[in-house]
Amino acid sequence: MKLAFQLAYRNLVGAGLRTWLNVGILAFTFIVIIFFNGYLDGWNLQAQRESIKWEYGNGQLRHQDYDPLDPFTLTDAHGKLASSKSENLSPILIRQASLYPEGRMISILMKGIDSQQKTLSLPTEAFQETDAEIPALIGQRMANSNNLKIGDQILLRWRDKNGTFDASEITITQIFETDVAGVDLGQIWIPIEKLWEMTELNGHATYFITTENYQHEKIEGWEFFSKEELLNQLKEVIEMKSASSSILYLLLLGIALLAVFDTQVLSIFRRQKEIGTYIALGMTRWQVVKLFTIEGSMYSLMASVVGIIIGTPIFWYFATNGIGMPEYVTPEDMGITIAQRIYPAFSIGLLVGTLALVVISATIVSFLPSRKIAKMDPVDALKGKVQ
Amino acid sequence: MEPIIKLENVTKKFPEGEGEFVALKNINLDFEKGEFSGIVGPSGSGKTTLLNIIGSLDQPSSGNAWVMDKNVAKLSHKDSAQLRNLHLGFIFQVYNLLPVYTVFENVEFALLLQNKSKEERRKAVMQALEWVGLENIPDKKPSKLSGGEGQRVAIARAMVKEPKIVLADEPTANLDATNAHAIIQTMKKLNEELGTTFLFSTHDEKVMQYLNRIIHLKGGEVEKDEIITAQNQQS
Repeated sequence: MKLAFQLAYRNLVGAGLRTWLNVGILAFTFIVIIFFNGYLDGWNLQAQRESIKWEYGNGQLRHQDYDPLDPFTLTDAHGKLASSKSENLSPILIRQASLYPEGRMISILMKGIDSQQKTLSLPTEAFQETDAEIPALIGQRMANSNNLKIGDQILLRWRDKNGTFDASEITITQIFETDVAGVDLGQIWIPIEKLWEMTELNGHATYFITTENYQHEKIEGWEFFSKEELLNQLKEVIEMKSASSSILYLLLLGIALLAVFDTQVLSIFRRQKEIGTYIALGMTRWQVVKLFTIEGSMYSLMASVVGIIIGTPIFWYFATNGIGMPEYVTPEDMGITIAQRIYPAFSIGLLVGTLALVVISATIVSFLPSRKIAKMDPVDALKGKVQ
Repeated sequence: MEPIIKLENVTKKFPEGEGEFVALKNINLDFEKGEFSGIVGPSGSGKTTLLNIIGSLDQPSSGNAWVMDKNVAKLSHKDSAQLRNLHLGFIFQVYNLLPVYTVFENVEFALLLQNKSKEERRKAVMQALEWVGLENIPDKKPSKLSGGEGQRVAIARAMVKEPKIVLADEPTANLDATNAHAIIQTMKKLNEELGTTFLFSTHDEKVMQYLNRIIHLKGGEVEKDEIITAQNQQS
């Protein structure tokens, strides 16, 4: 095997430009695959981190009737939990309401949250620093889309538990910035005690955010979703995105492998006399097959080295500085959490996996045409007569 | 003494259209160790086919070809490769040097297959290059060599492993008279010094004048088997 590598290396280096063209295109493929996957991994990690920080906490204990995708469930999806069971839980109550900024009416979700909570990054401590009658937190996107700013007072109309309309002015006390659209657009956050008072749903919650110390026991009427379960949807979307991106780099890999395949086919045709000479000098036909296969797979090994040399500074630059998303790409457009700047994550697993993919596939496409050598008549090969 | 090569009723047929072409018909020949022999004859007489069978690159359609006590008609690919690697050296009409290797690497190749150490390889290669007078250009690529130099590299490559038999297929066909004489004299010298058996296929008069034995082939059959004595050669 060592000999085959030694000879293959000599042959490849001796082949000059032809070798470097193949190495070049494989190295480019290697870099693109790692870059794309690193980008998606980075997005995934950031999105998960942000979702846990702003929306999911360590899990959610949801009222059994609550369906986040169905606003019609909100009217009845709330309930009380015995105080003995509410340890390490922070309640969130969601009600539908209408907001009237600048004379327009917009439908919103009014979310009550404990001002003392520390699990989510929502700046609820702002509630304690204001003497506004109904203080409200909103996200930057909500503020931008409705032209709202800190200190603004806007009319809010809601129904209490009996369906009776009531209205009052809320005061924007804080505007927070987040990449998680699920806590920003079309919603306002107010102290839960205030919301209980406004709706006469004292002690009720639509769901609870769990802290790290929460130990789940089955509670009738409530359903627990772990952090991992909540992140599944996000993961599925990113996996789908990853699958669609993989079409691009599989095409690229296909082109690179076609170049290797083509080189091998041409090599075997052009180097017939050389093949005959190898056999005349004492190599078996399978040793020659092995030599040609290793030559092909060495393209990929050399490409990996070149790819790592060229790619490392590129990967390092983007992993450090991130990739800015265009202004018009927002989480609400994408449907999932996406940061304005994504920092690709290049793991050892990604590098090793890509290396294995490129090397194995290059070895296979090198072996396929090389098998012809095993059936070659050395006499015909020496004369260059093999068709 | 047992012959180093023994051919018994060797026949070789090739398919040709609907029928077959008989390249060799019932060839019976023995070659002793240290012979400097040639197979001569017109094109298509079966010279190269006979050499290929002796070199275990091809197998007879019938009959037996014993080389170093091994019947090439029955050798597996692996065993015939081993026979070629250890005991046979080849010299081709068009040299067949490996184009991406240097002179040194071309000559070294056979020793790499024998798993010789680097030092052993270096010594043997330099020795072989000295035999052919190319010790000063080990780093040249084949594309930079003249025809005579290329064929001398091929001789060094065949001789570096000190094989028992060297098979040379029209080794002077692409060379001018001066180079042809120089090449054949080099081989003659190695034959005398190392006792290597040389077997040529040729129709070159320049080669024939150095041979100790000339086998004339015609239409795949031995027409004449001629032993050349010193007296013959002088005349």
